[in-house]
Amino acid sequence: MTLESILLNGLAVITTGLIVGAIFSLVAAGVTIMYGTIWFPNAANGQFFMLAALLMWSLVVSWGLPPFVGAVVVIVGSIPFSLVLEKFLIRPFYNVPNRNIVYFIMTLGLAQIFAGVFTGTYGRWSDQYSLPAAWPGAIMLGPFPFPRTRLLVLLIAMGLLAGLFLFLRLHRVGRALRAVFQNREAAILRGVDVRRIYRFSFVLAMLVITTGGVLFAMAYGFDLTMAWTMAIIAFAIMIVGGPGSVLGSVVIGMIFGFTQAIVSLFASPTLASFSYLIVMLIILLVKPSGLFAR
Amino acid sequence: MAYRRAAVVGLVILALALPFLFSANRFYAFILGVTYLYILWSSGMNLLSGFTGLMPLMYAGLAGIGAYTTANLVMKFDVSFWLAMPAGALAAAVVGVVLGLPSLRLRGFYFTLSGLVIQTALTMLFVYIPQFTGGDTGISQIPPPMIPLPGDKSFPLAGVWLEEALGISVTRYRVLAFFISSLFAGVGGAFYAHYMGFVSPRSFDVLTSMNIWLIVGFGGQGTILGPIVGTIILAPIPYIMQELYLYKDIVYGSLIVFTTIFLPRGVYGSILFHRRARAAANSSVQGKSEAARS
Repeated sequence: MTLESILLNGLAVITTGLIVGAIFSLVAAGVTIMYGTIWFPNAANGQFFMLAALLMWSLVVSWGLPPFVGAVVVIVGSIPFSLVLEKFLIRPFYNVPNRNIVYFIMTLGLAQIFAGVFTGTYGRWSDQYSLPAAWPGAIMLGPFPFPRTRLLVLLIAMGLLAGLFLFLRLHRVGRALRAVFQNREAAILRGVDVRRIYRFSFVLAMLVITTGGVLFAMAYGFDLTMAWTMAIIAFAIMIVGGPGSVLGSVVIGMIFGFTQAIVSLFASPTLASFSYLIVMLIILLVKPSGLFAR
Repeated sequence: MAYRRAAVVGLVILALALPFLFSANRFYAFILGVTYLYILWSSGMNLLSGFTGLMPLMYAGLAGIGAYTTANLVMKFDVSFWLAMPAGALAAAVVGVVLGLPSLRLRGFYFTLSGLVIQTALTMLFVYIPQFTGGDTGISQIPPPMIPLPGDKSFPLAGVWLEEALGISVTRYRVLAFFISSLFAGVGGAFYAHYMGFVSPRSFDVLTSMNIWLIVGFGGQGTILGPIVGTIILAPIPYIMQELYLYKDIVYGSLIVFTTIFLPRGVYGSILFHRRARAAANSSVQGKSEAARS
């Protein structure tokens, strides 16, 4: 290997690791917020991620909307969509004991429905989807070009993660949400309206997952198999990082993102997914509360 | 009890007689065979999910181990199917216990999740050891078992019998339940391979596990007849609506969501529940009238 190719590979690992890690962290943060507050283990998170990416593709490629407009439409559109899901699928089970298992099975069913819909519609039109660059051109990192769109995606993803973090630490509603993760009963006693927090946290989490899908579609090409892989990765990050811990999902999401980037360089990305599964299984068996549990 | 035994004997006779009744029409005979296969699988899964409340999402993966072991023994080592099948079933049962044991101490949702993780890892493994599994393309032209009678008609009988024998004690003997349930998965897998003549990792992926769970849940978890009722209603669907094959996932996924929301006890479970509720109401009325008389 020449020095140049080592540098090039190193740079590819760093940039891919950062972008993929930030997107993993976003999706996993969404999943962990849902599970932490509502006890809703969303096995369909990968399908929602894929739905966002595919809608983005339709709006931009088929309808010819500018990518930023498409992104805003998809992200804003997720709000009424999640309110409907919350009303019909989540709220009816608030008083069911072990509702997390019921939710888990139900979202597995939802995932199957979405997978069927995607193969029956998008699967017939294409098998690889990519968007035109939102911000054409590249900047030079030393002698190596780096697409501007990816830089933008990286900055937006990092900014969103930081914003989410600050919101949960500093804002009144964000603090109420964290109070619900930590101790539901105490939160109720302190006057937190738990049902409203549930609804809010579902919408917020879906917003974060949708944004992850939109950003991924802007940065990379994708195919339908991504949905299931993403679902597994997000769960692995949540379990390893500790359900309910956004900090955990960001740290582990970044580690997994870099793992993905490094493994993809030498071997198939499936090997990376396999390693996440093994890590998740070990954590499940040894310390199910995760590494960043409070 | 006598009534119950008569019902079991009746069912067995019916199960033995049906293949002869359907033998004129190859298509219906084929569907009947598939239905028997799924009765085996759903009864086996019901041992775990119904009687111990653990949802084994790695079930199809274990069936895959049974299928690949048997097919390899028969096709590469010229072992008779009737010797290879028990070996395959045993392999599935051993793998099931080894992988399942550590997860037995996990609580509800975490157990289910660990099953999903194991299932996904097994599917990846099937793709990555092509010398045993044929990789993504699978194994085709698997010879049918050499017997004068078609199908696997004696096994539903074994299923009912085993469940009769174990129905009471499984809650205490979770490990035994795990072993036997996995054994069923393996026997079913072996028959599946040699009945269909073709297997691929997709035959034993997480969707198959979920379909089997749906059959159990739709029929009625924790009842002996429930899975059989569920299988008779649901298993033939994809084969009867062959031209609608694309919609299979949508139909099954919707049924999972429907079952969890509207039919948590399943069809047969609901019938039993209402019958018991009525009986309880009657006996309490009788008790009151007797008390009034004395």
